[in-house]
Amino acid sequence: MDEVYRLNYQDLEDLELLAKIGEQDREALATLYERYGRRVFALAVRMLNDPVGSEEVTQDVFMSVWRRGATYTSKKGKFTTWLFSIVHNRTIDELRKRRRDRSRDKDDINDHLNIQSGDVSPADAAVAQSEYAKIRAAMENLPEEQKQVVELSYFKGLTQTEIATKTGQPLGTVKTRMRLALKKLRTALSAEMGAQV
Amino acid sequence: MTETKDNIELNDDMDPRFENLAAYALGALDDEESRAAVEHLIEQFPEVRAEYEELSEATDYLAASVTPVEPPAHLKANILKQAEKESAPSVARLVAAEIASNRSNSAPWWQRVFQSGYAVSAAAAMLVIVVGSVLSYQNTQLGNEIDSLRSDLAAETVLVANLQNELATTLNDSESRVASMKSEMEVMEDEFGATTEMVNHQEEMVSELAVANDALRQALRDQSWLTYVAMKEGYQVESWLANDTQQVATADPDAAGLIAVRVVGNEAVFQVHGLPQPQPDHAYTLWLMGNGDPTPVSQFEVSEIGSATVAFLLPAPLQFYSSVMVTQERVNGIGNDPSGTMVIFGETN
Repeated sequence: MDEVYRLNYQDLEDLELLAKIGEQDREALATLYERYGRRVFALAVRMLNDPVGSEEVTQDVFMSVWRRGATYTSKKGKFTTWLFSIVHNRTIDELRKRRRDRSRDKDDINDHLNIQSGDVSPADAAVAQSEYAKIRAAMENLPEEQKQVVELSYFKGLTQTEIATKTGQPLGTVKTRMRLALKKLRTALSAEMGAQV
Repeated sequence: MTETKDNIELNDDMDPRFENLAAYALGALDDEESRAAVEHLIEQFPEVRAEYEELSEATDYLAASVTPVEPPAHLKANILKQAEKESAPSVARLVAAEIASNRSNSAPWWQRVFQSGYAVSAAAAMLVIVVGSVLSYQNTQLGNEIDSLRSDLAAETVLVANLQNELATTLNDSESRVASMKSEMEVMEDEFGATTEMVNHQEEMVSELAVANDALRQALRDQSWLTYVAMKEGYQVESWLANDTQQVATADPDAAGLIAVRVVGNEAVFQVHGLPQPQPDHAYTLWLMGNGDPTPVSQFEVSEIGSATVAFLLPAPLQFYSSVMVTQERVNGIGNDPSGTMVIFGETN
């Protein structure tokens, strides 16, 4: 009979899982990992181009969720926004550390242009490919200069000043292009993808 | 697609508060101070917050654009294991929970204690709190010690890694040295081989020289060099005189000689060697024999090694003489015929 009342974590919303994480419920953390682990790992791999480093980043991110999950509120925005901002910031820290070290830096923008895919379930792949195709199309529709600043900042972890130096553009122009690019992407994608992200 | 002027101009009238929002959303601000300033603006101004939310929605799309990748199988287990470590119930956490639980009650604790009448329970609760505080302190201390030990362990790990590196480097150096020495040994072996070869060669040369010396000795013995000298001086060798033991039983077995005749004129040279020293008051006499009649040509002495070169004028062309003979005769006592011991006799060619 216990089985009947046993909690099915897969059915819980993200926020409910976070609440359970606040109660030190490791199964909730495992469920959240099952739900987002591949995407977190994928973003780290996309940015670092290094599976081993990406593994460390992924572990750090989920431990961060474990420690800080209880402090998350919907006032901070969508859970995925919060989660991927943790991933992104942690990976940027790693990228900048490597850039400082130079020893582990693979400083080739082209390394990051190819999305990598590993063992992905067909369903994930279909959804991801669909999302990716739409986002890629939206990216492709951006002017080259705007596409470049997005690539360099979001996926390469360069600061706006570094981008200005690297591309020879005035800092103000870089700022403008970043803003324009994000606004265009949002406009192009929010209508059809808002529910999926 | 190219940028249009309209696109760029969107920034011209940008509210300064929005200036760094996109960079903030993309994680592209330069320092912590700038990030703090933007966060402050987002908190302070709803319109800034609204703008930021729009922009961060776009960054969500960027994150979602990446095709999911299956992490290594052990990663989930690692994360859960670490979570378990961090969630181990500490005394401090339990006491804090207890305190929090007590505080959540609306009435003050002392009021609840006295209202309930369970003074003993209250005392026990107090005791729990006090003991808990002590344990909490101890737990904190223990935590600090654990942190310190972890730090030490990390340092030790680095030390071990460094030692391993050093050992690996030393091993590599040692291997390089061994390889180098081996190579040098091989070179030395080659050189030694070359030296041995040289010695062998020198020994061969010495052996050849010995053979050459023997040949020279032999040449000296048979006076063949005289042939050379004679020819060089324009003489023609006409006759070798060899010891004929059958005819000259008393002759020295090593004695030999020749007559070299100059091509032009009647000058001739008689070379001889291997003759023993003549008896006292005796000297060697050279005879030319023609038609059985001996003609004395010259009386001569020999050197310490028994050789002599005698120049003389042929009384008649050499072909008139059938043989040559050397005898020992008394000094200044040459007669018409040889009377002393014959030491050399030879046919003329």
